[in-house]
Amino acid sequence: MKTLKNLPTLAKVGLGFAALLIPTILLGIIVPSSGEGDFEPQEEFRLEPYITLELGPVDLSPNKAVLYLALAAGITLGLMLYIANRMQARPNRTQTAVETAYTFMRDNIARGNMDDAMARRWFPFVATLFMFIWVSNMIGFIPLPLNTGHPIEVGGLKLPTFAIYAATANISVPLVLTLMVVVAYHVEGVRAKGPVKYVKGWVPAGVSGFAAFPIFIIEVISQFVRIISLSVRLFANMLAGHLLILFMGGGLAVILGLAALGYFTLPIAWVFFLFEIVLIATLQAFIFATLTAIYLGEAVADSH
Amino acid sequence: MDFIPFLAQVTDDGLKAIALGIGAGLGTIGPGVGVGFIFGKVIESVTRQPEMKDEITSIQWLGFALTEAIVFYAFIFGLIAFFL
Repeated sequence: MKTLKNLPTLAKVGLGFAALLIPTILLGIIVPSSGEGDFEPQEEFRLEPYITLELGPVDLSPNKAVLYLALAAGITLGLMLYIANRMQARPNRTQTAVETAYTFMRDNIARGNMDDAMARRWFPFVATLFMFIWVSNMIGFIPLPLNTGHPIEVGGLKLPTFAIYAATANISVPLVLTLMVVVAYHVEGVRAKGPVKYVKGWVPAGVSGFAAFPIFIIEVISQFVRIISLSVRLFANMLAGHLLILFMGGGLAVILGLAALGYFTLPIAWVFFLFEIVLIATLQAFIFATLTAIYLGEAVADSH
Repeated sequence: MDFIPFLAQVTDDGLKAIALGIGAGLGTIGPGVGVGFIFGKVIESVTRQPEMKDEITSIQWLGFALTEAIVFYAFIFGLIAFFL
């Protein structure tokens, strides 16, 4: 062990790679399987309804995404209500964590980007968005037995298998959240200033005369681009994170037809998994809530 | 060199896959520069004014996430072009 510690850094890195590469090659020689048909990473994003439930032309069949949404909403509500009902003067660890999150949401996200009256009115909305997206992102990285892709047959029953999936990795969920935010801040802006003054407020202060018209057009376009950027940011981050984990955890090996390569890419999958769970899941919830607060604050602010 | 028969075998799907690869790959250049720039500037500002560290850190993550998302715009629109 001591000789290992004294090696130069380059030799350590080389040893690490060799420890991965040599078993990969050996596995490839011993078990020359192509892996095809064993694992299909794209199965994660297939949404098959559990039960068919149709009300006339409206398809209401619950599938995996619906279940994840309900789960995220349930966990958010349950956790917050449970802690709110058992507040103690001397907080335990869970209460401290939630209180820290609460203070952070109130002071940094809401009050940092809106004036006090607006922050008081819209803090619940922003905080709910943050908590819901955060819980939704986090349960997306826990393997849950909800996947209908590769059912296991036990006594004639087709049981779903464990897999990861996030409701936020489906464009509909971020899009609906975004539309909610967009409607909220437009309504709030019109309520604070009146419709004409609000639309005029899009043009930055100090721009007048002939130059105001093209800038107004650009501002109108940017209002629509906001819908795309806010929703696609969350959706694409979660989708790309899940794709990276799936491809590194076996998908790449199957596509290339070298099953042994999966041994080499699995540690990379773990690195991505930790990176997503530690940084991206929280960061995306934070960004969504912060941008909501910024848009709301900007809609009622006197100058653009 | 048998270049012409090779070109004759190129399918639309193959070209689309190449386009997705090149597009998504080129799309990472800009955000890569941007993310590096953000962290470089953060290091610079914190060494200049260490007492501002907390404030800078929260802005840093906002800037990081906004810049990083641009990689995924390129990737997602590449995928849209690939599947449509």
